[in-house]
Amino acid sequence: MNRLARGLILPVLLLLAWEFGVGLMVEPGQAPLPSRVAAAGLGLLRSGDLPWGIAQSLGRVFSGFLVASMIAIPIGLVMGASRAVERNLDPLVESFRPIAAIAILPLAILWFGTGTPAALFIVAYAAFFPLIINTIAGVKRVDRRLVDAARTMGVGRVTILRTVIVPGALPQIGVGLRLALGVAWTAIIAAELAVGAKSGGGGSGGIGQMMFVFYAYSIELNSIVVCMLAVGLVALLLDRGLRAALSHAMPWGRA
Amino acid sequence: MRAPPALRSVGVYLRTMLVFMLAWHLVSALVGNRILLPAPLVVAEAFWRLALAGELLEHATISIARMLLAVCLATMVALPFGVLMGLYRWAEELVDPIVELLRPISGIAWIPLALFLFGIGHALPVYIMFYAALFPILLGTIAGVRGVERRLIDASRTMGVPMTRIVGHVVLPAATPSILVSLRLGVASAWTSVIAAELVGAPSGLGYAIQWYRDMLVTPRMMSFIAMVGVSGFICDAGLRWLQRRLTPWAPMRAVLA
Amino acid sequence: MSAVKLRLENVGKSFTLADKTTTVAVQDFTLDIRAGEFLVIVGPSGCGKTTILNLLAGLEIASTGRMTIDDRIIAGPGAERGVMFQDYALFPWRNVRGNVEFGLRFGPAGAGLSVADREERVRATIELVGLTGAENKYPHQLSGGMRQRVALARLIANEPGVLLMDEPLAALDAQTRLILQDELLRIWGQDRDAPSRRTVVFITHAIDEAVFLADRVAVMTTNPGRLKQLIEIDLPRPRGDATRAAPRFHALTQQIWALIRAEAFRATIT
Repeated sequence: MNRLARGLILPVLLLLAWEFGVGLMVEPGQAPLPSRVAAAGLGLLRSGDLPWGIAQSLGRVFSGFLVASMIAIPIGLVMGASRAVERNLDPLVESFRPIAAIAILPLAILWFGTGTPAALFIVAYAAFFPLIINTIAGVKRVDRRLVDAARTMGVGRVTILRTVIVPGALPQIGVGLRLALGVAWTAIIAAELAVGAKSGGGGSGGIGQMMFVFYAYSIELNSIVVCMLAVGLVALLLDRGLRAALSHAMPWGRA
Repeated sequence: MRAPPALRSVGVYLRTMLVFMLAWHLVSALVGNRILLPAPLVVAEAFWRLALAGELLEHATISIARMLLAVCLATMVALPFGVLMGLYRWAEELVDPIVELLRPISGIAWIPLALFLFGIGHALPVYIMFYAALFPILLGTIAGVRGVERRLIDASRTMGVPMTRIVGHVVLPAATPSILVSLRLGVASAWTSVIAAELVGAPSGLGYAIQWYRDMLVTPRMMSFIAMVGVSGFICDAGLRWLQRRLTPWAPMRAVLA
Repeated sequence: MSAVKLRLENVGKSFTLADKTTTVAVQDFTLDIRAGEFLVIVGPSGCGKTTILNLLAGLEIASTGRMTIDDRIIAGPGAERGVMFQDYALFPWRNVRGNVEFGLRFGPAGAGLSVADREERVRATIELVGLTGAENKYPHQLSGGMRQRVALARLIANEPGVLLMDEPLAALDAQTRLILQDELLRIWGQDRDAPSRRTVVFITHAIDEAVFLADRVAVMTTNPGRLKQLIEIDLPRPRGDATRAAPRFHALTQQIWALIRAEAFRATIT
């Protein structure tokens, strides 16, 4: 039995058990079953609700991600290159890092209201930390001897930063980008969920909010599962897409 | 005479935070809105009062207890699976598709469904955190077991040690540093979810407190609890780092950040 | 003529690489290793000497030919053929005593030993390698030379009939190497006669080391690895610094170098 077939055994078994086993144990009633989930999924796709929700969430993720990159990467480069700068800024980074983006959400809502700016802030905040930490690590991991070699050839400091340190740090920065994207996606879902919960179903849309509406208002468990699967699928595609883009940009090898 | 390194780094820490507080104070004075951005001293005072009243500790303890329970459960599941999958190809090929399917669905996406299954209460945050911690610990264990130096296993085989004993006395100890690192990642992951889970689905805990004071528009207290989230997260990680040092003094403290 | 301990007959080993091509590591290797002798295998890099050792250890299976120990076919690893690896392979979570007793505690070599007997053997072995006093130290606290001794002690404690050593001194600096060569011969028991000594198969790429330690030196060629020549080392035992200064020592090293030189050169340009 080849590898692909072996890999499918467990998922298929579990799906079958889910579909038929649940009915044996409890009253099927409202319980989400694979068949019902599939049907709900098709419905949501056809009505355009699902693609629209995903698009909204993605839009926020990308904007927030962009903002975070433009702030975190330059600062990270400087912090990685200069011991002094790192020592002074590190306390700030390390103090805020354990405070998850979601804990900041009420603060963000207080400042920006329940609309898109708050969501953007949360996403940027969440993406900031993996980015800056990995950028710093990337710079640090650049072999000092490469920098020394450039210096013995009389190359200036700024040029060294551009031509030796940045390319050398790129693989690790790539790792940071992937982590940050994943975290950003999780953060937006959480933010939309929480905003949906607090603003009573109104508010800014997005797939997280859709999930909440299906929970609190239309009580459609199957649709909730569809949304969960969509969240997972998008996360997977985002990661694969970014990885492909990164390996394209860095043909000389990964971290 | 320069101060010893430990004292110096504390000094730098205080200096940076002082600068930060000053900047905060200036901005809050400019904004002038007590609800939107209270001055640092006001927040500090609120923090102090809450600490004295025991409220900070009360909620923090609840959240931390839930997190520890979730991580323990996750470890009990992830460890055996991880060892099996790390050692035997067939186990990995069998289970990996499920893992790869479920992993991208973050713990937070489970909240609505979990609300249905568990309702509001203790079980919901624990389940969400269990889910969040499961994958880092599983993947880290697999990598740790795989990463055990081939040489150590070879050496044991040339001494005639049977495989079952090799797993217990060589593979597990050798993989312990990686497993501990993955535990730290699992805890961090769980801690990120605790707030979301409690915001929506629990009658107690730090997340709940943050939401409660926001609703009441008592910003200084809300900020105090947010700070408490950071403090608790830091303490948990520090505890695990201490454990790392005690159990595996020979190993590096951090895996590559990948 | 002492009895044959290990016999390799037309042994060959090929590997299939990731890109599906096959590479022949060792071909048509035939050699009789006598009981109690110190045999050193020497050759340029990549000549398959480590493969031979892995085959003898049972960590790899031969593609062709057969290998026997005391006339029994070698089919896998076993405590009667102890191995010392180039990078020591010490268990970092166990201290010196914990490492040395490992094979006795968890392997067949310790079967039938009472706890007291086992501890006594461990103590005696640690004393033999000169590490008394360091029993409670951990590998990361030890120098290279000390780790070497621990690896050796762990090996000897199991009292294997055959010791297989894969470039054990390669990671040490030149001075420590000379000291440990002397120590190795002492611990092996070079002043005793053959039947009461253990058989040693030793791999190295340092020719002077080979000549100093060996009763016989097997010179290998590379690509594919084969036995080129077997040279009898007739230097008297016990050996020491005086041996290294002897003209006969110099002549033997030159003789072996002449056999290897051309291939060693080629290895630096391919």
